[in-house]
Amino acid sequence: MNFAFTEEQKEIRKTIIDFARRDLNPGIVERDRLGVFPRELWKKCAEMRIFAIPFPESLGGDGFDFVTAVAAFHALGYACKDSGLVHSMATQIICGIQLQLFGNKEQVSQILPDLVSGKLIYAQAITEPGSGSDAFAMQTFASKTDGGYILNGTKTMISNGPVADRALVFAVTDRAKKTLGGISCFLVSKGDAGFSAGKPMEKMGLRTLTNGELSFSDCYIPESSIVGREGQGAILFGEAMEWERTLIPACLLGELERVLEECVQYAKDRKAFGQPIGDFQAISHKIAMMKVNAELGRLALYNAAYLKSQRKRAALETSTAKLFISESLKQACMDAVQIRGGYGYMVEYEVERDLRDSIASTIYSGTSEMQANIIARIAGL
Amino acid sequence: MSTSDSIRDFITGEILHGTLKDPLHDQDSLIESGIIDSMGVMTLLAFLEDKFSIQIPGDELLPENFESISTITTLVDRHLVR
Repeated sequence: MNFAFTEEQKEIRKTIIDFARRDLNPGIVERDRLGVFPRELWKKCAEMRIFAIPFPESLGGDGFDFVTAVAAFHALGYACKDSGLVHSMATQIICGIQLQLFGNKEQVSQILPDLVSGKLIYAQAITEPGSGSDAFAMQTFASKTDGGYILNGTKTMISNGPVADRALVFAVTDRAKKTLGGISCFLVSKGDAGFSAGKPMEKMGLRTLTNGELSFSDCYIPESSIVGREGQGAILFGEAMEWERTLIPACLLGELERVLEECVQYAKDRKAFGQPIGDFQAISHKIAMMKVNAELGRLALYNAAYLKSQRKRAALETSTAKLFISESLKQACMDAVQIRGGYGYMVEYEVERDLRDSIASTIYSGTSEMQANIIARIAGL
Repeated sequence: MSTSDSIRDFITGEILHGTLKDPLHDQDSLIESGIIDSMGVMTLLAFLEDKFSIQIPGDELLPENFESISTITTLVDRHLVR
């Protein structure tokens, strides 16, 4: 299988890399310190039509296939040092894919275009205070009422939650049923009575990505705002995770490649004991493993992207890509700090930020342990 | 091998890994009995779409379509005749 970029993909990647370096990177150290969502940069990304990449032209999108979207986010992760902003944008795309695949006609034709343009910010709300990896142990409940549902419960650590205009909210609709059939997905909008978003929670990394609580207190949701059918939530979630576990690792692989490049350059420039530190195997072998992982990660990523682009099921391939690339990135960032010694530990040199950001990648979108559980189960255990 | 037998073989072999003691009948409940869960559905979907060269769209990914071997067979057969 040939995973070489097409000329068009190369052009898109070059445009994104130039844009990110010019417009998104300045001020990242300060933004990270303050932990604020860069709304102006979001608008610039919208003007660059980044959210439009994988959606059809009829919805205001640019109509590229999913492999091209992955190539674009791969470039974004590589060039944009604001990993929080990149994650925020990937979240938006994943919400859009769910709406496109499962939304009703009105949701697709009337609501999706504002996501595609970036005019409105979206969040996906699954995690609750008492349920993380066991997502379907959620307690948020939507009870049936005349013409709709009444939603009660609390979601937490929701990416984009504090700034979101709309959220895809997963809730139990039938406690008597198992996960399959008992959970549904709803589209909730800022301003809906009974819906409130909390302040951003302070985090170790990805500090420009806002994460927070979404609370629902007798929040009425009209029947037209259910996404998919009642009881379809678990299947929708399973499908969404395959797309998410491809698009997000694309960003992570880009970051891994940037960390690798910077380490190679540093190992050539920095001298110790009279020679470049890259001449010492203690350093060069760490960098060699980064290179190996980047190469293997690329194969895993584009294999998954190709399958999803063909609308194939890819639970194994997407979990493999997510697990391998996120763990590789975390190790690469640890090694990048170690290679730089004291400088690596200093905020000014921006390596410690990559490390802080990378740790989250092995937790969100299913922890590494959950990815391993999925892989083990498919392997026959 | 019939569609329903192929599905039965996959469920008993690849999802249950041969742990089921009693035979699995066409009308047996797969979801209520816990034989198929959310992960199992995705695994089963991958098998169905690959084995029968079909693509099942989002609006047909409903729990009731995966309730038993019988309903899964109906879903597959509907796509085979299209």
